[in-house]
Parts: sequence; C-alpha cells; structure tokens
Amino acid sequence: MDTFFEFFSFADPNIRYVVIGSLLLTASSAIVGSFTFLKKKALVGDAVAHSVLPGVCLSFILYGEKNPIILIFGAFATGWLSLILIDIISSHSKVKEDTAIGLILSVFFGIGIFMLTIIQKSGNAAQTGLDQILFGKAASLVGNDLIAFAVIAAILILSVWFFFKEFTLLAFDEDFASTIGLPVRAIELLLTTLTVLAVVIGIQAVGVVLMAAMLITPAAAARFWTEKISTMVWLAAIFGAFSGLTGAYISYIAPSMPTGPWIVVVISTIAFISFFMAPKRGILYRMNNQRKIRRQINDENILKALYQLGEEEKNFYEKRTIEEILTKRKFDPASLKTGLRRLKREGYLGNESGHWSFTKAGKHKGQRTVKLHRLWELYLTQYLRIAPDHVHDDADTIEHILTPELETRLEKLLDYPTVDPHQSEIPYQ
Amino acid sequence: MIKHVDNPVLEVHDLTVSYDRKPVLWDIDLTLPAGKLIGIVGPNGAGKSTLIKSVMGLTPNSSGYVKLFDKDLKQVRDRISYVPQRESVDWDFPASALDVVLMGRYGKLGLFKRPRKADRDIALDSLQKVGMDAYAGRQISQLSGGQQQRVFLARALAQQADLYFMDEPFAGVDAATEKAIIEILREMSAKGNTVIVVHHDLQSVTQYFDWVILLNMRLVGSGPTSEVFTTELLQETYGGKLTLLSDVGDLIRRERFPNREQFDKAQKPK
Repeated sequence: MDTFFEFFSFADPNIRYVVIGSLLLTASSAIVGSFTFLKKKALVGDAVAHSVLPGVCLSFILYGEKNPIILIFGAFATGWLSLILIDIISSHSKVKEDTAIGLILSVFFGIGIFMLTIIQKSGNAAQTGLDQILFGKAASLVGNDLIAFAVIAAILILSVWFFFKEFTLLAFDEDFASTIGLPVRAIELLLTTLTVLAVVIGIQAVGVVLMAAMLITPAAAARFWTEKISTMVWLAAIFGAFSGLTGAYISYIAPSMPTGPWIVVVISTIAFISFFMAPKRGILYRMNNQRKIRRQINDENILKALYQLGEEEKNFYEKRTIEEILTKRKFDPASLKTGLRRLKREGYLGNESGHWSFTKAGKHKGQRTVKLHRLWELYLTQYLRIAPDHVHDDADTIEHILTPELETRLEKLLDYPTVDPHQSEIPYQ
Repeated sequence: MIKHVDNPVLEVHDLTVSYDRKPVLWDIDLTLPAGKLIGIVGPNGAGKSTLIKSVMGLTPNSSGYVKLFDKDLKQVRDRISYVPQRESVDWDFPASALDVVLMGRYGKLGLFKRPRKADRDIALDSLQKVGMDAYAGRQISQLSGGQQQRVFLARALAQQADLYFMDEPFAGVDAATEKAIIEILREMSAKGNTVIVVHHDLQSVTQYFDWVILLNMRLVGSGPTSEVFTTELLQETYGGKLTLLSDVGDLIRRERFPNREQFDKAQKPK
C-alpha cells in the first residue's frame, strides 16, 4: 500500500515524468487508432508495429548508442516502408491484401529479431535499453526520451484535432470525400504517417509485439458506449490513458517486469467489460432484451388463452384454473405460473384461491392480442395468398410485435373486417 | 439513336473505362442538356455506375475525356454532387443523420474549418425537404434502408449543386420513399438543376425521366425519353449480350494487354 501512495502522490519527479509520458503515449495512440479502427485497418496497424523493429535496431547499429531522435527516424523509416510494400504487393500482384500484410509483418519482424540478437550478443543491449523494445518499459520514459516522445504525441493529438472532420469523412465515405475535392490521397497519407508515428512512440511503453492492441483496443472498447464519433475518440483516449497509468505503476513497483503485457491486460479488460456491460451494444443488454421479449410473448399468450376461454363460454370474467388454461394452449408449467403471478402483479389478472380471472385491463390486452392474430391471418390470406391452414404459426409470432400504428394501418387496409379466415370473430370493443 | 445537344452540362468524349484492364465501357460519346431529369438504364454489368464514377473521377479512364459545364471536373467540383450507392458505406458508423448531411457542406467549408451555424441550418433544412427532420439526431444504423437513402439525398441537397449524379437511389427503398424521392428530383429539375440517375426498373422509366441513356458496355441510345425508350432500342440494349466484345475484354485482361497502344497518354482535350 505504501508504494501505492508513494506512486500516486507523484512527489518524485521521476514518477511524474513516467506517468506523464505513459499517459501521453497511450492516449495519443488510442486517438489516432480510433481512425485506424473505423477504417477497418486493424491488421495494418499490427504490421506497422512489428515492422518498426528492424528500424529501431538499425538506427542503434549505425549510430552506436540509443538516441531518441535517431531511433524515431529509424523506426519511422521501416514502418513506412512496410506500408508501401504492402500497398505495392496487393495492388500489383495477385496476392491479396491480408496475405501481403502477413508476409510483410513476419519478414520485417524476423529481420528485426535477427538484428536485435546481434546487438544483444555484442553485450551492450542492457545499457541501451533496447532489450525492452519487444515488450516495453514505461519506466524508461525519462529525460531526453520523454521530451522527444511528448513532442510527437502533441503533434499526433493536434493533427487529429485539426483534421477531425476530414478523417471522419474519409473513414465513412471515401468516394464522396473524393468527389467534393478533398485531397483524399494526401489525407490518407497523413493518417498513415500519424499511425506510424503513434506506433513509433508507443513502443517505448508497450513494446512492438503488443503495440497494435494499443491502437485498436481502446477504440473498439469505446465504440460500445457511444454512437457519437467525438465521444468515441475521447473515451478511447481515456481508456488508453488509464491502461497507460497502470503500466507506469507496474513498472514502478516491479522494475524488472515488462509493462506492455500489463497495459494490454488492462485495456483488454476494459474492452471485455464494454463488450458485456455496454448499453444497447453489450451482450448483457441484448440477452436481457431477449428475456423481456420471451416474457412478453409468454404473458400475452396466457391472456390470449384466457380470452379464448371467455369467448367460448361468453363470460370473460369467469375464474379459471391452471388446468383450464392448459386446455387452450400448451405452456411450460413453470413459466405459466410465473407469468400468471407477474400478470397479477401488473394488474391484468386477479387470483382467488388458485382461480385466475381477468381484470378489465387484462381482458382488453388479451382481446388485442387475439384481434392482431386474426387480422394478421386475414392479411396473409388476402394479400399474400397463403392458404388459411398455413397462416396460424406466422400470426402467433406477429401478434406480439405489431405496434398500435401498424395495427391501425392493418385495420384500414383490410377495412375493419369482422371475421378471420377461419370465421372466428375479430373483436374490436 | 444518340442525340447531341449544344451547350451541354456534361460532355463525354470517346470514353473507355477498364477494370483490371478489361474494358467495361467502350468509346462512349455523349452530350446531355441542362435542367433535365435523366435516367441511365441498362442490364446488370452494363457499366451504368462505372459511367458516373468515371465522370466523377473515381475510376481512371483508359482514354477519352469528360467535360462538365465545358470545364474540367476540378474547376467545377462545387457545382456537382454525387450520391454513391447506399450499400457502398458501412452504416454502422458512429454518426447521426444530421452528421451525415453536414458532410454535404464540407466541400464548401474547405480544410480545417468546422461546420458553422449556417451549415447546420442548411443541413436541417435539407433533412426537412426529404421528410427526415424528425430523425436528425438518430444514429444512422437505426434507420431503415429507405431512410438511409433519404439521408444521402439530403446530403446531396445540402451541397447546393447544379448537377447531381445519383447511383441507384431507388434500390431497396419502400414505395413511399421512392415516391418522395422522385418528387424531390422533379422539383430539383424544375428549378433548372440537372439530375442524372442510374436506374434499373424499366417500368417507371417513361414516368420518371425526360431523357434516357441506354447503356450496355457501349452507348446504345441517348435522347428524349419518347424518342429513345423504344422497343427496338431496348431490345438492342437488353437482348443478346455482345459476347464477342466481352470475350475480347477478357482476353485483354488475361494477356495483361494495354487498352491503348500508348495507354499512358490518355487523349487530352485540345
């Protein structure tokens, strides 16, 4: 706990640097990655992330020591080269884009690992910090490195700020963007450059292997919570920053631990939570929605059965036993019981010593379901020319989904008919 | 029957367009009058969409040139609006109907600038014209196909252009939307705008369009509907595919043959 307070009091300037650095890097790559995500270029992000490795190593081999500026140049060069090669291969040969991405990713990463091994064999990898390039180390974000990376992060955020409108349009409708005279190629080039830069600075905290997750996952998680692109980008930035902060903390309490995997675990947890819990798009919401629909169908079927019993005996308010209801329609006994109890709670049914009877509202609802069922049967026979003995099952489903508006249209279209195709009366009042 | 006009809004000169080297349009020569509602009609794979995409500079031309208002496309972009096919975009995009219509203002706004109040007014007004003002804040994936098409039309209206190209605006929309859209298109052409529509339903052609372009890999006819939309020309458009033509096209692709002997130097207007 002590270390926790020590860290989050930010009293130590080194901690402050590392925190600021991690926040900036992860947030800016999440912001740029939002557009990579919306353009459905997730795999390209992964290819770039792996392809910067040979550049990083090469810059070290040529310059002899680790210098952030040189390193950025090197990483940028091979990252860019990989994108150009992917583009050339997929447009000038029979090889499809996904294959080209796979090819380039593995070739560049392979060369990178080869070079990294040579550097490590030479013995000074540890003092250069290059040994952390694969899985990241947030704690190394100090001094000169931090300044260089912070400047680039600021450039990324500002570029997205200025080109927000253009990036959005390009992601949604590229053809249209081109017809209104937007310099599509140039903007595409800019976005690609920003993506490569985001990777280049992000690898310091996350590492080349897992960097793609930092581009894509925050945006994918944010997408679950909102339908507004500006909110989505903000959320992605916040999610990214939060995982970056965790990475910095881990790096502080366990210096030998690589931070990349931790950052990715945190951001993935956020994504999983979003996947399940988010309103509207989340799995739980959808499951809950399905449950509500099943309940509604069950309850309306009970009311319908009671109404049909009343119709037969010309007495709608008679008390019925569960057995009587079951003569009209097969129900799962458990859901029949819970349905009956729910309908009582909602004021559609009354119950006296095991006998169930309609309230006024209950009769009205049961009657509406029966009416919709019969109207739909009539519609199917008249307008779709379906045989009368084939319309029942369709109507059994449709009766639960028709809105009052559709009900009115159906009535008008069929001109307020009195009987359905089986000569059953269609009840109106 | 190919009728040419003086002072055309659109002039297509000897245009050949290829996909992956295979020509899909052969040597199209075409002039279109202003202020008309014009339908491009032809079977599947006839190159209808390709023709307007090529005019809008979205596909590279193998040869020939296009002039709009007697100028190059680049000089008159803000007078022209293009409505792509509805399926060409992913509607599960984080944007509202109003956001999409506002995109119609981006051309006038230029880089960096955010939409102003006046642009929002125009966008809302365009939504109202297509009967979608009640859905301005609705997320676009929540809209029905017909409503999405109306949003696209509203975006085109927000561009306040003089010449409109629309790719299958009636595809997959309900009858009410089709009627609403054709009403708006008529209004636009009555105001002197030219509207060029890729259309696939032969039944409604005479009812909808003043001018018809019949297309099937080559131009079969272009002129006033009453003169061009004849049984004879329709048979030529739809009946019997020109198998020799498409076989030659396939051969060009297979052999990786250039479309012109000097295919880099597309013919330029003098």
